[in-house]
Amino acid sequence: MASQSGKRLSLSRSNSSGSEGIISRVSSTVSQSPIVYRGKRAASDAAYVTKRLMKSTGKAAWIAGTTFLILVLPLIVEMDREQQLNELELQQASLLGAPPVGSTPKDFFSVKGGG
Amino acid sequence: MATLVPPPATTPEASKPTVIEPEKVDYLNLPCPIPYEEIHREALISLKPELFEGMRFDFTKGLSPKFSLSHSVFMGPTEIPSQSSETIKIPTAHYEFGANFIDPKLMLFGRVLTDGRVNARLKCDLSENLTLKANAQLTNEPHMSHGMVNFDYKGKDYRTQFQLGNGALFGASYIQSVTPHLSLGGEVFWAGQHRKSGIGYAARYNTDKMVATGQVASTGMVALGYVQKVSEKVTLASDFMYNYMSGDVTASFGYDYILRQCRLRGKIDSNGCTSAFLEERLSMGLNFILSAEIDHRKKDYKFGFGLTVGE
Repeated sequence: MASQSGKRLSLSRSNSSGSEGIISRVSSTVSQSPIVYRGKRAASDAAYVTKRLMKSTGKAAWIAGTTFLILVLPLIVEMDREQQLNELELQQASLLGAPPVGSTPKDFFSVKGGG
Repeated sequence: MATLVPPPATTPEASKPTVIEPEKVDYLNLPCPIPYEEIHREALISLKPELFEGMRFDFTKGLSPKFSLSHSVFMGPTEIPSQSSETIKIPTAHYEFGANFIDPKLMLFGRVLTDGRVNARLKCDLSENLTLKANAQLTNEPHMSHGMVNFDYKGKDYRTQFQLGNGALFGASYIQSVTPHLSLGGEVFWAGQHRKSGIGYAARYNTDKMVATGQVASTGMVALGYVQKVSEKVTLASDFMYNYMSGDVTASFGYDYILRQCRLRGKIDSNGCTSAFLEERLSMGLNFILSAEIDHRKKDYKFGFGLTVGE
């Protein structure tokens, strides 16, 4: 783009060097200056790198997310269910007033019967 | 008298502060090792569940305590082996009918598929130590039928096996317990049809908390496995496979959770392949299966669900 505009400017200058507006002169010096050129380069490079970075981050996030969905999510769900089941059982046991572990009535009977 | 009170643990001698001596190993009474072909058993169970793609329904009905019939339906895409890197899948559906006879001395299994494949297995105890195993697979395609006969001899602290198969396949293996935890074994085989022969060695170290195995064969295969039992419910497993001839290296790591209502197995390997297999018990004799496998590198995603009734 820079080279093209430069070419056009040089053409117009050769045609009518006398009737050159001040605005076009300023714009030509601005567009032809190396700072602008470097700035443009840097911006386009940065945009390219950011785009690549975003793309690879997105891919990594996709892989990590799907892996999580397959490997970890079922585990969390099942562990939660197991815990709920345990809690339910504990609650029922306390509601029924279960005797302490080790001396259930059944054991007591069998010991009595044996003796 | 159904529930006997367990005798109280009597440890008056152990309570004395004595110097712990290294346990004397009785080398004449070593335990019997597990068969050579099953040395990776624990790692295989945790890392290689029967993953499938599509829908399956299995129904087993016991007609008598020893005899049962099974019906199973499978629908879904199956992979066709091809030379190109892309996998070709074609949709298939088949029905399988099976009959099982299970007796402590004799086991017979038969399977017939609607596409004409027949699979038969036989396991028979000839004497107390000698077992005969036979396996046959018949298909309507030529040169695809297989048959194999194994003779297993179980000694006091060793096992040996002799194998005969079609295509002039001969094999023999021997495994011996060296210490109460360590067993070493070796095998030789000769495939006459392909003019190939090979030799292999294996070692297995197991305690009640962990199992470590290693196997090398002259085909270039190196397989290492390690399984750790973390608790009553959780088992972690890892394995490493290396093939010297093709240069393939695969390492995988998996978990195996056995909970009250379900069994969940997950695995991730170095090829970027992730898989999970969930067996959920809905009620007595009714299991729901979910299988998932994703391979990011090949862009191959397989999901399946199934129902198992009766067992």
